[in-house]
Amino acid sequence: MTVEAHGTNGAETLLQISGLTKVFGGKGWLPGARRPSVHAVDNVNLNIKRGETLGIVGETGSGKSTLGRLVLRLLDPTKGRIAFEGLDITGISGGRMRQLRSDMQMVFQDPYGSLDPRMKVGAIVAEPMHVHGTEHSSIASRTADILHRVGLAPAMADRYPHEFSGGQRQRIGIARAIALDPKLLILDEPVSALDVSVQAQILNLLRDIQRQSGVAYMFIAHELAVVRHISDRIAVMYLGRIVELAHRDRLYAAPRHPYTASLLSAVPIPDLKAERQRKRIALHGEIGSATALPSGCRFHPRCFKARLVAEKGGVATSTLPSGLALPARCIDTDPTLVESASGDHVACHFPLEPDDTAT
Amino acid sequence: MDQAATDLRKTEDQRPGPGRTKPVLELRNLVTQLPGEDGPLTIVNDVSLKVLAGETLSVVGESGSGKTMTFLSAIGLVPKPGRVVAGEVLLDGADLLKLTPDEMRETRGTGISMVFQDPLTGLNPVFTIGEQIAEVLRAHGSVSRTEARETAIGLLERVHIPDPGRRVDDYPHQLSGGMRQRVLIAMAIALEPRVLIADEPTTALDVTVQAQVLELLAELRQDFGMAMVLITHDLGLVARHADRVAVMYGGRVVEYGSAEAVFEHTAHPYTVSLFESVPSLDAETSDDLRTIEGQPPDPASLPAGCAFEPRCFFGQGREECKTILPKRATASMADHRTACHFYAELDTKRSCA
Amino acid sequence: MSQIEAVSTQNASMRDPEAARRRRRAAIRRYTGHPAFVIGTLILAAMFIVAAGAQWIAPNSPVQTNMALILAEPSWTYPLGTDQFGRCVLSRLIHGAQISLQVGFWVVLISLTFGTLIGAVAGFVGGWMERIIVALIDTMLAFPGFLLALALVAAQGSSLTSVITAVAIAYTPRVATVMRSVVLTIRPRPFIEASRAIGLSSTRILLSHVIPNALPPVIVVATVSAATAILAEAGLSFLGLGVQPPTPTWGSVIADGQTVITNRPLISLAAGMCIAITVIGLNLLGDGLRDTLDPQMRRQTGAKML
Repeated sequence: MTVEAHGTNGAETLLQISGLTKVFGGKGWLPGARRPSVHAVDNVNLNIKRGETLGIVGETGSGKSTLGRLVLRLLDPTKGRIAFEGLDITGISGGRMRQLRSDMQMVFQDPYGSLDPRMKVGAIVAEPMHVHGTEHSSIASRTADILHRVGLAPAMADRYPHEFSGGQRQRIGIARAIALDPKLLILDEPVSALDVSVQAQILNLLRDIQRQSGVAYMFIAHELAVVRHISDRIAVMYLGRIVELAHRDRLYAAPRHPYTASLLSAVPIPDLKAERQRKRIALHGEIGSATALPSGCRFHPRCFKARLVAEKGGVATSTLPSGLALPARCIDTDPTLVESASGDHVACHFPLEPDDTAT
Repeated sequence: MDQAATDLRKTEDQRPGPGRTKPVLELRNLVTQLPGEDGPLTIVNDVSLKVLAGETLSVVGESGSGKTMTFLSAIGLVPKPGRVVAGEVLLDGADLLKLTPDEMRETRGTGISMVFQDPLTGLNPVFTIGEQIAEVLRAHGSVSRTEARETAIGLLERVHIPDPGRRVDDYPHQLSGGMRQRVLIAMAIALEPRVLIADEPTTALDVTVQAQVLELLAELRQDFGMAMVLITHDLGLVARHADRVAVMYGGRVVEYGSAEAVFEHTAHPYTVSLFESVPSLDAETSDDLRTIEGQPPDPASLPAGCAFEPRCFFGQGREECKTILPKRATASMADHRTACHFYAELDTKRSCA
Repeated sequence: MSQIEAVSTQNASMRDPEAARRRRRAAIRRYTGHPAFVIGTLILAAMFIVAAGAQWIAPNSPVQTNMALILAEPSWTYPLGTDQFGRCVLSRLIHGAQISLQVGFWVVLISLTFGTLIGAVAGFVGGWMERIIVALIDTMLAFPGFLLALALVAAQGSSLTSVITAVAIAYTPRVATVMRSVVLTIRPRPFIEASRAIGLSSTRILLSHVIPNALPPVIVVATVSAATAILAEAGLSFLGLGVQPPTPTWGSVIADGQTVITNRPLISLAAGMCIAITVIGLNLLGDGLRDTLDPQMRRQTGAKML
């Protein structure tokens, strides 16, 4: 029964990440010049199925962008394993990895910076084909075809990126990424820099591309409404960890991690009446620094649920230097990501129950 | 008769109407131009807006709509070689455009001040935040060093920076983005201005921090009785914080009214499209989003008629929209204005749908 | 084929051949509308024509001494008079342009080629390679460029080739420093990461993305360093370490004129003017290139221009 409801068994897994960790810094060039080490991504496990969209949300410093770069091996992981179509890509050579990049591509946040300003659009889109040995005679027609697919006129191939608007440039970035028909596309905040009306155009375009080609997306963003719109499942990251990973509708309707709930309640919604009647969960402080991680659960200094649990009593509490009493487990024990019957995951000692969100 | 009178009073109670409060800041027919290769480009085109005491006016629009430039014009900071070519900017009835540069500098800070989007570039990295706040105070009157420092600490406390006595000696890089934005807000309110203009104050910040910063602005607005202008592209923020809303497109205000009027009785097709192109946080469906086709207008080649006509789901191709510039008309209620030839049809169409 | 033709209508203007023509015209206007660029180009073009046609333009032989006509006043045959050996000053200056322009050209070519490569590798590869290169460059920069050239020429013996090599070696580290710092600003830009993401090798990224984007500021520096090279050559000649007499160079004309500067100031002054005009021409050209080369800057300069 539980295995049936698992959901992840249905389709074939494309990407499997286990125990992935990336530590920045930690050693300086000169002995004694040690820089503080930052656990940008810390023991992350997740998988992406063929044709699926996995959303990754989190605030600045949550490690979501680092995660995307680790998958593409633009950064080398400190620990852990990344398997793409069953092949472990963590240890393979640079040359071999470059070949694999035809199957895994990336769209970047900054539509202005991610295109070489001295190259014409046609050359930008054709570049991956040149690198990966597409037959020369067919490159020109394929370039035109791809530009057309992303809604640009093939005649635009002759112009420079600076002649385009932000939305059009993001289309160029997408064209470059889909030029080789990849199986996985990592989208790093692809619409964050765009105006709302243009953002909608790009989201629809990404949908169309996925419907046509069956490419899987890892959609990294901080706008929760956008992530909900495009994703099948969503992982919420906090200080390098996945704190909740769940089916989209369940995550938004009944978040189980207090951080997810706080995040959702902080997003204002464009509906006058609903927005003015909403209650907000006050988040205490700001996301901490990954150089000085809190003990136990990383979220405990900001957590409202931990405060509620401690006030209600019935659990052993410890008192922080600030005088705040919180459940001892939150301060001492790092919660692991636990799978529930529905196949969703949460890493919390006291996950929210449906009636919690009402308060 | 009686019924109508009570209704009227009710709306006045909910939202201060024009009769009750005099505008603190009023822009009248403001026009700002940049020189272009083929004649001047009109970036702000005949903009008239009112900001009332204790209220928040939200100015919404896409990049290039002229929303930032409108208020840079108002405070005399239009980047060269642009300049204001016509109109009036009335602060408590006095026209700021008639001031000398020195008088204008004096007015910025005491009368009107502005908080910008990027909290890092707004602060000078080589001075402590205390010194930078003190500089604002000392630029507008002789304050002693110690007095300025004391005031700075008080201001940091006012914007809820923890441990202000110690933080006052921090350099900008020692603060998080949210904290830096608080410091910039402290600098902007240091001289208790009548109007605070916040230009996308939270775009560079995370949602949880964004919520905190905006709550702070709302609190300060109430405590000081300031009028606030919130320039943003986030309709959620508008819904949460605005008393009045101005929607800008192609350098013009296309819709203006109380938040209630604009949200509940939307009277311009562009505003309708904006609402529909935003993905929803709680929709179960995930159909394609409604988009606004095409590109924002190029200020170098604005059409003779309505600037939105080429992208409009409603008026596209109509002769009137193509050739005649729509006048501001009163829509659902007094003080709700729209610049659309067919807003009346729009309303019925929307209620049918 | 039908797919290609079925383009979105929103950007119909982009297919327009008229639009392409308009863009080309705008590009030309960008250069011709920049006064510094135009004046700089004209000065250098004039210098080039003078140098190339020296033997036809010069009224007299630059080396023919005439003891009967020592320090003659300007006349129709000797427009700038003669020096203390009775040689035509104007002719010497006209022929001297050849040496100056050659030195400028070769020094720029050599220092640009090596400086670009060294700087780009240092900036892009990083690590120990960068540290070693930077240390070497810093050591060379510790000597004033002119002094370094002086020492090298003194060691090699003076000839046109050794002057060019010496000055080029002295100025290569300068170009490399600029190149490295520009590359350092390009390396973190997203399109470099994007090219890595599509599977480009480091060499290919360096050659097809980093160097083309780093070149404009380096070309500007190179143009200005051509001016410095011409000055350095003149200085070496003035000190008698440059190209050997009787070959005319601007520096040796100044040196010769210096001994008679009290009664014939025109000789040194005229040679000095030649150097000054060429250097100003190169600097103006450098300014012009800086404003017009970068495609990202184009729009802004278009608005900025008067």
